[in-house]
Amino acid sequence: MSEPASETMSVATGRPWRRNVWPGIHWIQECGGHRAGIARAVLESGADWYAPGNELHIPQNAYLLTGARTLLWDTLSPASGHILLPALEDLLGERPLDYLALSHPDVPHAGNTMQVLRRYPDCRLVAPATGETHALYHLDDAMKVGPEDEIDLGGLRVRFPEATFLDAAIHTWMSEETTRTLFTVDWMGFPHQSGECLRRTDEIDTAVDVGRLEEFHSRVMFWFQYVHPHKVTAATDTLAVRFAGYGFAPAHGLPIPGEDAAPYYERLNEVVRRVAASGRGGVL
Amino acid sequence: MSAISLGGGVFWVHECFPETDGHIHVSVYLVEAPEGAILMDSGSFHHRQRLSDRIADATAGRGVGAIILSHSDYPHSGNIPAFRGDWGDFEIIASCGDPDLQGLPYARRTKIGEVVDVLGRRFAVLDPPLADRNHTTWVYDEASRTLFVADGFGTLHASGACDIDWGRIPEDGRAEGVHEFHAQTLPWLRYADPNRVMDALYAMLERHHPAWIAPIHGPPIAEADVGRYMADLSDALARIAEPHRR
Repeated sequence: MSEPASETMSVATGRPWRRNVWPGIHWIQECGGHRAGIARAVLESGADWYAPGNELHIPQNAYLLTGARTLLWDTLSPASGHILLPALEDLLGERPLDYLALSHPDVPHAGNTMQVLRRYPDCRLVAPATGETHALYHLDDAMKVGPEDEIDLGGLRVRFPEATFLDAAIHTWMSEETTRTLFTVDWMGFPHQSGECLRRTDEIDTAVDVGRLEEFHSRVMFWFQYVHPHKVTAATDTLAVRFAGYGFAPAHGLPIPGEDAAPYYERLNEVVRRVAASGRGGVL
Repeated sequence: MSAISLGGGVFWVHECFPETDGHIHVSVYLVEAPEGAILMDSGSFHHRQRLSDRIADATAGRGVGAIILSHSDYPHSGNIPAFRGDWGDFEIIASCGDPDLQGLPYARRTKIGEVVDVLGRRFAVLDPPLADRNHTTWVYDEASRTLFVADGFGTLHASGACDIDWGRIPEDGRAEGVHEFHAQTLPWLRYADPNRVMDALYAMLERHHPAWIAPIHGPPIAEADVGRYMADLSDALARIAEPHRR
């Protein structure tokens, strides 16, 4: 069920892994290398969104928000400090980084935290308020944020709604209210293939269907195999109402514009039903 | 006391962190293998010096020959660089996640379902029903019949009960400690069907019958106490899944 241990990743270098995705929101992407095991599973499933011979990527995304003040959302994995820091320096120029906000202290999301704080020593570290073990993650002195909090970046406003689907206690999602963007961290991820890196879903020719979303969630949200599906789908339906019209900026997929977002909620509901019926798809 | 023997060459090196409703263990275990000492997880940086001293004492200064990681979460993997500084570039056996992304490019990756040989001792690599990160693995030590687990099977405990196994924790409050731990540590349990989780756990225990369950975040559970722990865990999962019905 897991990929062979020999199929390790390599990290692409020398490419500008960043772009502006929506006004004031810059996307920094770590694609890693080809996921051969997942690619095989995709081909065996008969999916038509993936072409044999292409690389298949499960990305890590960080987002830099630039209003009058600046905020970095997550930091990529430790394998990609060489992507993140040059991207930040290019995007910020002489400007300071005012906030570094962590969705959760998971290594692929927070792996370059210390490097960023060393480069921008006046930056304020922002961490989820939930959980009780912040000191075990060097987060005891961070600014803690929860659903009641908002940071005004001057032209952009970020809030920190509860992470509805999460893997650990110290965890938050984020929304940006002027662009109506929801940063969903591990939820709403999916693989892409070579040629689709740094593209939004409205800029690619292939479909992000239930099967494609399942390839990611059946591995990362392995616990879907143990749920009452109706509980998860009820929570998803609540999100669909609360964040109607918001686009998605996931940590492990391509950004999805708000005008295209509505069908994704039901696609995720179908993913949950499938994983609850069939079990996890493997690991990342 | 540097380490508490569970028998079969397995030792519990317990450390705790105080929370609002009790202490949470952030422990490690030492396993004596033919070719050296294996450390199960590396513990938190918060306890680095104490762990280093206690491991050195328990191994008569020889230190660690290999580490098997349950997952790369910082309280489990945070001491690897320091311990490698103490005892050399010993082997890291990572969980099933991609080692590069987890900041462990030098680690050996395991695969769920395989049996790995580490310093001459065999461990079955298992798919954990009670975990937070997707790349978590549990391992079953065939020689001692010890099941090493994280993050599930924890128990919050009172101050003063830090170095006793689960069966010796006073019954008053013990079940609540099982509930509190899982409610706060595994947030996805709010969506769970407790029967599905328990069935998966019972199937694992049937196949890998443990003399000890050795949690990172709780006291070890002896074979004689597994039934009572599972009953408390079942109640805890039901309360978490249906908090308004209890």
